Amino acid sequence: MKIKVKIQTESFNIEQETNVLTSGLRNIGSVVTFTGLVRESEHFSAGKNPKIISNLVLEHYAGMTEKLIYEMVEEASKRWDINSVSVVHRIGSLKPTDRIVFVGVASSHRLESFRAAEYIVDYLKVHATLWKKVVVNGIDEWVEPKHLDRSKFNKWSD
Amino acid sequence: MNDTYNYFKILFFGRLRDFSKNIKNEIPVSDEIKCVEDVILYLDTLNPHLGKELRKPFTLVSVNKNLVKTDFPIVGGEEVAFLPPVTGG
Repeated sequence: MKIKVKIQTESFNIEQETNVLTSGLRNIGSVVTFTGLVRESEHFSAGKNPKIISNLVLEHYAGMTEKLIYEMVEEASKRWDINSVSVVHRIGSLKPTDRIVFVGVASSHRLESFRAAEYIVDYLKVHATLWKKVVVNGIDEWVEPKHLDRSKFNKWSD
Repeated sequence: MNDTYNYFKILFFGRLRDFSKNIKNEIPVSDEIKCVEDVILYLDTLNPHLGKELRKPFTLVSVNKNLVKTDFPIVGGEEVAFLPPVTGG
């Protein structure tokens, strides 16, 4: 099992990350990648107008985040027959349209990489020690966790 | 003698840092602090707002980067981190 976990401030190149994912492996039949981007507007409260975000600021617990992501990937590899996983997550100050996160999974057959990629993204959302702050009209506020993310992750244990 | 063993290293993340601005990230080792719960009691005496946040059910605690419960025993030199609900991805 090949695993890459990287937390970085700089952006990433999707094609390059996809090549890293499969380099040296000759029995890969499927590559599934997910890229998360910064949305410009967000509904913070139901019924209210969306707020326009100027920046998204991410911080993390260095060392712990990487360890937790490795554990997620190990867990995914117990559930599905996958050969390679890369997770690249950015921290620092980002702007709308910027890339935040890359998750790539390679496997011999497509079902495994589809499922595992979705599982890792869902897991990441509720367990990785990363925190987001949004800047709206020059004022920053911490992002509240979404119940939807939690309930989506919980479905994997049904 | 390395004096890092005379302190507990305390870390706050996310919104918890906003409540802990005047709190030092080192707490001297004492007979009163034997587990994570004792750290919370100590911090609560310094800043009750922070104490309240630390006791919220969704606040997690780690010692040396392993998630633990608040009765987890600690010794000098260890790193105790308070983690509000995460919002990455």
